[in-house]
Amino acid sequence: MNLYVINFKGQTTVGELMNPEKGSPGAVEDMEAAESFIQQAMEIILQEAVKKATNVKEKVCEWRSPEQLKELLDLELKDTGESESKILQCCRDAIRYSVKTGHPRFFNQLFAGLEPHSMVASFIIEAIKTSQYTYEMAPVFTLIEDALLKTMMKLIGWEEGGDGLFNPGGSMSNMYAVNLARYRYCPDFKEIGMYASPRLVMLTSQEGHYSIAKAAALLGFGTKNVYVGAVPFFVNATAGTTVLGAFDPIDEIADICEKHNLWLHVDACWGGGALVSKKHKHLLKGIQRVNSVAWNLHKMLMATLQCSAFLVRDKSCLLQRCHCAGASYLFQQDKFYDVSYDTGDKSVQCSRKPDAFKFWLVWKAVGTRELEYRVDRALALARYLAQEIKKREGFSLVIEPEFANVCFWYIPPSLRNLPESPELWKKLHTVAPVVKERMMKSGSMMIGYQKHVDKPNFFRMVVISPQVSRQDLDFVLDEIHSLGKDL
Amino acid sequence: MEPTAGDLTDPLINHADGQLFLHEAFKIIVEEVLCKGTDVKEKVCEWREPEELARLLDLELREKGEPQENLLQRVRDVAKYSIKTSHPRFFNQQFAGVDYHSLAGRFLSEALNTNLFTYEVAPVFVLMEAEVLRGLRALVGWTEGDGLFCPGGSTSNMYAMNLARYRLYPEVKSQGLWSLPQLTVFTSPESHYSVKKGAAFMGFGMDNVILVKGAVPFLVSCTSGTTVQGAFDPLDRIANVCDKHKLWLHVDAAWGGSVLFSKKHSHLMKGVHRANSVAWNPHKMLVAGLQCSVLLLKDTTDLLKKCHCANATYLFQQDKFYDVNLDIGDKTVQCSRKVDCLKLWLMWKAVGSAGLEQRVDKAFLHARYVVDQMKKRDGFQLLRDVSSHLNQPEFVNVCFWFIPPSLRGKEKNPDYQNRLAKVAPVIKERMMKQGTMMVGYQPLGDRVNFFRITILSPLVSHKDMDFFLDEIERLGNDL
Repeated sequence: MNLYVINFKGQTTVGELMNPEKGSPGAVEDMEAAESFIQQAMEIILQEAVKKATNVKEKVCEWRSPEQLKELLDLELKDTGESESKILQCCRDAIRYSVKTGHPRFFNQLFAGLEPHSMVASFIIEAIKTSQYTYEMAPVFTLIEDALLKTMMKLIGWEEGGDGLFNPGGSMSNMYAVNLARYRYCPDFKEIGMYASPRLVMLTSQEGHYSIAKAAALLGFGTKNVYVGAVPFFVNATAGTTVLGAFDPIDEIADICEKHNLWLHVDACWGGGALVSKKHKHLLKGIQRVNSVAWNLHKMLMATLQCSAFLVRDKSCLLQRCHCAGASYLFQQDKFYDVSYDTGDKSVQCSRKPDAFKFWLVWKAVGTRELEYRVDRALALARYLAQEIKKREGFSLVIEPEFANVCFWYIPPSLRNLPESPELWKKLHTVAPVVKERMMKSGSMMIGYQKHVDKPNFFRMVVISPQVSRQDLDFVLDEIHSLGKDL
Repeated sequence: MEPTAGDLTDPLINHADGQLFLHEAFKIIVEEVLCKGTDVKEKVCEWREPEELARLLDLELREKGEPQENLLQRVRDVAKYSIKTSHPRFFNQQFAGVDYHSLAGRFLSEALNTNLFTYEVAPVFVLMEAEVLRGLRALVGWTEGDGLFCPGGSTSNMYAMNLARYRLYPEVKSQGLWSLPQLTVFTSPESHYSVKKGAAFMGFGMDNVILVKGAVPFLVSCTSGTTVQGAFDPLDRIANVCDKHKLWLHVDAAWGGSVLFSKKHSHLMKGVHRANSVAWNPHKMLVAGLQCSVLLLKDTTDLLKKCHCANATYLFQQDKFYDVNLDIGDKTVQCSRKVDCLKLWLMWKAVGSAGLEQRVDKAFLHARYVVDQMKKRDGFQLLRDVSSHLNQPEFVNVCFWFIPPSLRGKEKNPDYQNRLAKVAPVIKERMMKQGTMMVGYQPLGDRVNFFRITILSPLVSHKDMDFFLDEIERLGNDL
């Protein structure tokens, strides 16, 4: 596919810019060279990382062992630079040996597929290259983030609105929730720390994401103080658990939290996508009652990584008060515009990427109805897969899927019709790792497996991408059998 | 709305349409952002009031989607009203300019859209990150060690505090702060505010940053390249104290770290190899593109992993078919983590360490030039503090007041400071509304609003420095 040709008009301008001294290499000394390089790089990206990478006839991954890969990539950083053709080859190699997460047969994580509008937004963000700490630095993105957060709050059901921001990941959003709850409980902690306070504990379900534990460690509570304890101040409910895709009953939990004045946070990083579906949003029934929500748009709704929203049902600037440090080199109070548009002090970060744009552009492009349709379709496919699993010999569901996670065992013929026993579980436990190895080495697909509590390794299929269809799911089951039948 | 059987049989997204959109949008990005955005004849910013901008952008998210032409116009609008941070006259922050190799790396990272938690989903980047960290550690003076890329220098600083705490009291991970004595962090008043934010976030309390009697110091956080004035703490001397008292020495070199590429200027960080941890943001002076922030550690005992791990079985299975030590995800406080190493690696490959050194050296030369020119002009008064006896800035931050003619010679007037404080905000407003350039101002301690120009972009030349001074005069002469 031939690309267009653009002339960078900057040629003479750059000539003016470059004074008697030579500019540094790699900088934009020669605009034509820069233009040519970027065009060639983009052509490679479009062909190899977009077109080929989403083609079902291509491999999902080109497996190499670490030692082999190190040799192939020539990673060493030297004193002198390399030629343009070598650099372009580096790009090609990086693509070739990377996993094609946009491939229709990539089911390994809670993100998948390729959303072209979001990708365009990502490219814009990279080209514009700014930070969202102040309105002056990111006027467009500040307004877009605000508009998107407000729309998300409407979906949650917060009529009076609230506050929020985008974070580098859902783990961070969960940490913010813990921090806010602590701050609300006792604002003095911000200044004096927690030493003199009674031991505070956090409650979460067993299937809650491990970021709650990491939050407990990082924020000074201690991982032991997640579950049992002294003074509860924070409850974490999960809407869409990582492995099984289960949803905590938010309404019931909210009853208890309201009664005892506990901060209720819902980790909806994975399951939040259901809120765009009239048919499925009941899974998060009661969510309008909670204090805060974490929702990752880069998962089910396919924004590019990262696109993690943190939303809090508060209009008292709690987020700002909790995190602010009032740095005078950024948040001057005598600016010539309304400084409440400077969002930076709400965050624990300083520089912050304008991630909201990645999803705003998608929403603009396709509209809520299409987003809803995508979610409904993904869940219909998950149900289809569950039905097929029930029909096939050698496949056994772990539980009936509630969402887009379909968890199942593959039982090779040699293990079928054997009585259930610890020995059987032990043998079954070894099946998935081998099938996984084989699928990765052939590059035909990628699916995750894990053990869970006392259950032996089982596969977790996650259905997200609108590019996936029934044939791909049929293929998955066929392929697992093909790869594992001799075990 | 229930999908029919037919709907499930065909893929939903039409990739041809999507690829066409990518194509067309890229043309616009090149034209509007890269081309115009670096053209000195174009504006640095197209200022609009928030309410007006909201109207222009048509922010509302609706039930139905839009045709491609609309979307492409949106791409143009976003470009038009965004700040041109690569423009030769953008001096507002500690990042600027553009490097096309790192830009290609960034586009590629976005297109590949993966996470760095395991080798299986990011084989290339796990290995690449390790190599880049190794190269950066070598510049610090460490032949071994650990580290990772973080979403920003604030996070890097927070990690350092967390590690220092964990090293001293490993039980804090499970038991929390309740059982510990009050811990304090030492840092200078000019250090970045992330040290305080980190202290609050992690339960120490902001008050326990600096010095409290009877408390247990566990970390000294010093700065190589302070935010406003660009000052460098004397690392060797501080290391002497830390060695003696067994304190964790963290160097926040987010801004200044890049001097390590320069044989001429690395002396500013003499002694850095004695630190326990170093935070360094290549997205600042090396023009790698946001975000590109590393935390480097001297430790070789897997402290990072021990401190942060949670051993999630759905990601870090121990029975994988490859060496699971390559799954670095449990070293971090994050779960998903973006690929930020490619943008630096590709650029470094393209220009070599020598090329990066030249950039750093050139930035110093520009700063010297600006200062020399300021001395020749009336009305430009440098903040003296970080200048040597030759009145040169230590780094590439040049802090100065512009004294309009009406105030010159009037320093003894009782309302001088008040009037001076009002000058910078007005000049800033004017420059932004006209879009001719962007430079930051702030107060500091008892010094009223002054400008801080940071010169680092490889696109900048002396003509831009001259323009800068002319423009300040033009915008402020009537005040």
